[in-house]
Amino acid sequence: MSDVIGLPAATLARLKAELRAASWFAALGEPLTGGDRTDAAAYAGALGLGGLTIDLAKDWPEAERLLKSSDWSSHLWDREEALRRDLLQRAEAHYPERALWTALTELTTEAGDLVHGKAATAASRMGNAAKASIHVAAGAASQAVYQLAVARLAGDAASPFESKFRLFAAGRWPLGVVGSRVILF
Amino acid sequence: MTESITVKTVEELKDAPEEYREAVAKLVISHAINELYGAQVFDEPAIAYAPTPYAKWLTCRVAMEEYGHHVRFRQLGVQMGIPEERMVPGTGKKPLSIFEFPLKTWEEFVAIKLLADLAEILQVEDLLHCTFHPLRNLARATMPEERFHAQFGEDFTAELVKTPQGKETLQAAVNEYFPYLPSFFGGSKSRNNEIFRKWNIKQRTNDEMRADFMTRATEVASKYGLTLPEVRQAA
Ligand SMILES: [Fe+2]
Ligand SMILES: [Fe+2]
Repeated sequence: MSDVIGLPAATLARLKAELRAASWFAALGEPLTGGDRTDAAAYAGALGLGGLTIDLAKDWPEAERLLKSSDWSSHLWDREEALRRDLLQRAEAHYPERALWTALTELTTEAGDLVHGKAATAASRMGNAAKASIHVAAGAASQAVYQLAVARLAGDAASPFESKFRLFAAGRWPLGVVGSRVILF
Repeated sequence: MTESITVKTVEELKDAPEEYREAVAKLVISHAINELYGAQVFDEPAIAYAPTPYAKWLTCRVAMEEYGHHVRFRQLGVQMGIPEERMVPGTGKKPLSIFEFPLKTWEEFVAIKLLADLAEILQVEDLLHCTFHPLRNLARATMPEERFHAQFGEDFTAELVKTPQGKETLQAAVNEYFPYLPSFFGGSKSRNNEIFRKWNIKQRTNDEMRADFMTRATEVASKYGLTLPEVRQAA
């Protein structure tokens, strides 16, 4: 990575350490733990989606079906997107735009390669994943890294992207909201 | 006439003839800029248009790979001593005309991945035997990802053409965007291309690449019952 002048080196270094230490996709399909439920409830709640049940996708075909489901709720996605835009604006107010942009692009590129490999490993271990699904998983995980980076650089250490990242770090993949359920894979 | 030279590292490039160094720099700059333009104008906005979370995250990954291509070319450029500002849009170099039409629908994005990424594949293929090895290796790393993008285009094309409405909208998008693609390969009498071939940096003439693209684009379009609009060849 090139040195990006004017950005908080400590924040970026911590992020990179966290993303390398995360157990990407290691617990897909495993029974939900109390911690998973707490993080999933915190994540949905912070995005204004309280009172939903937390549910599990057991394998890749089920995850794929849910991600293509017509029952899929765009609320979570839209709220994340609105929040991301707001946080990005705040981050842009703190740091030179080019430097910020370069740091985010390089971070997501590095994260993308890492999580892609982890997703491929999980898919081959579990079996039955469509080839494109590895890319989908990598897209989801690197988006989570990007969102977390934007939030931290905006100075928000308590955004919903923290609990979302914790789910990924614990080996889960939050698939979103389908009907009245928050689904974790 | 071709000159035989092999440049194995960025270090060795310093000893290469000026014409060679300039030619390689031009290529790196144009790839860095085009990858970034593409990602900004098409891939990133497409995430919002994608119809399901599956398609959205897949598009996210594609967008990140395109940004990643820019990052790789830019990093190589930096090692070669090219100033960073020459490798991002907005300073000097005019964008290709296709980048001036912002994305409006999901179908447009599918058409672009199907056909514009095929054009990208051809460009990258032509570098697979490049005498400047850092660039050749970068092309090799990029190739599987570009193939995946074109496959993405094919997969969603196959989805869309299942309904008459989807097929019609996709055909309209093909009609709108395809005419910009042949000029992506540069002019017939390009002096740059002559130099690229002289030093074995690139293999084929712009016209050879364009003709090959037309053949392959026609093939893939007809596979899904789509047609390509008539295009006037660039001079
Ligand atoms: Fe690319
Ligand atoms: Fe591509």
